[in-house]
Amino acid sequence: MAPLTTNTSKAADTGADGQQIVLGMSAAFSGPSRGLGIELYRGATAYFEHVNSTGGVHGRKIALKTYDDGYQPDPSVQNTMTLMLEDRVFALFGYVGTPTVTRVLPMLKKFQDQTVYLFFPFTGAQPQREPPYADFAFNLRASYRQETAGLVDNFVSLGRKRIAVFYQADAYGRSGWEGVRRALKEHGEKIVAEATYRRGQRFDSSMGRQVEILKAANPDAVICIGAYAACAAFLRDAVDLGLSVPVANLSFVGSESLLQLITQSRPDRDRYTDLLVNSQVVPSYEDVRIPAIREYRQLMLRHNPDPPQDLLEQSYSALPQSFVSLEGFLDAKMMVKILDVLGENPDRANLESAVFQIQDFDLGIGELVSFGPDRRQGLQNVYYTIVDAGRFVPLDDWKRRFA
Amino acid sequence: MSLQRLFQKTLFGIFFLFGIIGVATSVLCIRTVDGYLSREYEANSKGIAKTIADASVDIILNRDLSVLQSLIDQFVEIQGISYIYITDESGEFLAHTFVPGIPEQIRTGYTGSTETVERRLPGIGDFVEVSSPILAGISGNVHVGMDMGLLSLRIQGAIGQQVYLITSIFVGGIFVAIWLMGLAAKPIAQLLSYAVRLAGGQADGDDRSETLLARDDEVGHLARLFLYFSEAKDPNRIERATATRPDPDMSGALSG
Repeated sequence: MAPLTTNTSKAADTGADGQQIVLGMSAAFSGPSRGLGIELYRGATAYFEHVNSTGGVHGRKIALKTYDDGYQPDPSVQNTMTLMLEDRVFALFGYVGTPTVTRVLPMLKKFQDQTVYLFFPFTGAQPQREPPYADFAFNLRASYRQETAGLVDNFVSLGRKRIAVFYQADAYGRSGWEGVRRALKEHGEKIVAEATYRRGQRFDSSMGRQVEILKAANPDAVICIGAYAACAAFLRDAVDLGLSVPVANLSFVGSESLLQLITQSRPDRDRYTDLLVNSQVVPSYEDVRIPAIREYRQLMLRHNPDPPQDLLEQSYSALPQSFVSLEGFLDAKMMVKILDVLGENPDRANLESAVFQIQDFDLGIGELVSFGPDRRQGLQNVYYTIVDAGRFVPLDDWKRRFA
Repeated sequence: MSLQRLFQKTLFGIFFLFGIIGVATSVLCIRTVDGYLSREYEANSKGIAKTIADASVDIILNRDLSVLQSLIDQFVEIQGISYIYITDESGEFLAHTFVPGIPEQIRTGYTGSTETVERRLPGIGDFVEVSSPILAGISGNVHVGMDMGLLSLRIQGAIGQQVYLITSIFVGGIFVAIWLMGLAAKPIAQLLSYAVRLAGGQADGDDRSETLLARDDEVGHLARLFLYFSEAKDPNRIERATATRPDPDMSGALSG
């Protein structure tokens, strides 16, 4: 089978020729958040390889041209320039992160005459969901506002109204912070305390100061808006310093990577994960009753995609399944459907209308997907997971767990 | 008589004068550079705060605060800017760049004033904080903290360069003065030596003496004057004394 990742050959000026359709991806493949980019890529690749192995889309294989931005805005802007102006990709796909995507969006507007759209970025932030940039991106996942609102509503319903926020000091953190603030305002409450950390913090960083700041406000719960390494460090220090309240994370965190760090560093793992609850934008990959989950597990097992080797600076232990790779898988499945609707002569100029033709599409997770001029986000559901016996499982009863 | 004894006072005078000039110039330079750089630093900071304030209006009114955060994150990359925070009209912090949190002094002591203030934040440093209102203050304020340490470093650097230049000129000037005095003292030393030889009757036919007598300057005039007086006392040598009579305008040349 031809390799999925293309790094040398250039397709036609529109990113599609008779043989392939080239999609461009800039994501974190290095640094403390590389697990997010790698797993998203692996999940998408599992589905694209499956499609390519069965004839492609209207006879064209799908190629994914990848660049590493290390979850930093400036490299992501540079990568996007390269993808749009040099590689001439058909569309941008699977970008990772709010600070990166937020800086890339103005470029899409600048080059709007080329009709290069950003599909399914791995971020729930608002900038690509609102004017003036909403017209240049399509989202599949639920937003951070939906995730934070769900968490706040559930905590408040349990009487946990004093909510503190631990967040990454950048656009992503602010987006989640804003979500929590808005949701609390609906209940007549305010954020009781906040603490921040710099993007790129590793697990061995101390979050003691942040824990002390939040602990001083005596919160009922803490909502974290960060990446797995820093959030795992916060969870570790929070428990060690006696902050015994539920600690919630958003879907972006990379739940399995977070759990892996805690498990590796603390033999008494359960003490650290008992109060953990993570929101997700895809169902649990453990729920094999769901058709798309069965397909995902099967294709991940069959293809077991490697990370992009030329971008890998250190060895990486791939996760058999994860929420992030499942999201990548569903993103790819949705993308293939759009390319299929686009027809035998793919033209970027027709992409938007092709997307809008997607109505009540069954992605296989029990939620139908529709797009339209006023609906540029496909999925709306938020799921909640907790750790049980060393793995994330759906949270069925908030009251029993956290009341 | 040594050179130092003859020119000691002159050298001390030059040292003193150069010292006064050096210190006065340095003090003036410190005041000028300090004032100029401080004003420029504050003006630039206010410009940045105003730029952010102008750009924030639309974001605060119409868009998600993550856009505002992205905006200030780009500005805080500018060297010298240590922190930025934006408040709404009620004083609520909408976006900031503090890690691990908003300092207590700022969080609890917020007044909404847009006056420039100097802040000492424990464990963080000293800052000049400039502010700019958003939409004339009805949508809040932007506050930009500039690192005073960096400002001091820049001022010290600029002053250091000036002082280095002045000191170099001072030291160079001293060496040049010594060299020039050496030049001036050499013929006087030769004249002294000549006078001693003349007094001992050992100056006749001496090449050094002839060279000295041939000089067309004050030293030559003095040498010829010494010879005149010396030979005028000796009747046998009156003829030569007449021949070596000093120029009539010599006194004028000496006094001149």
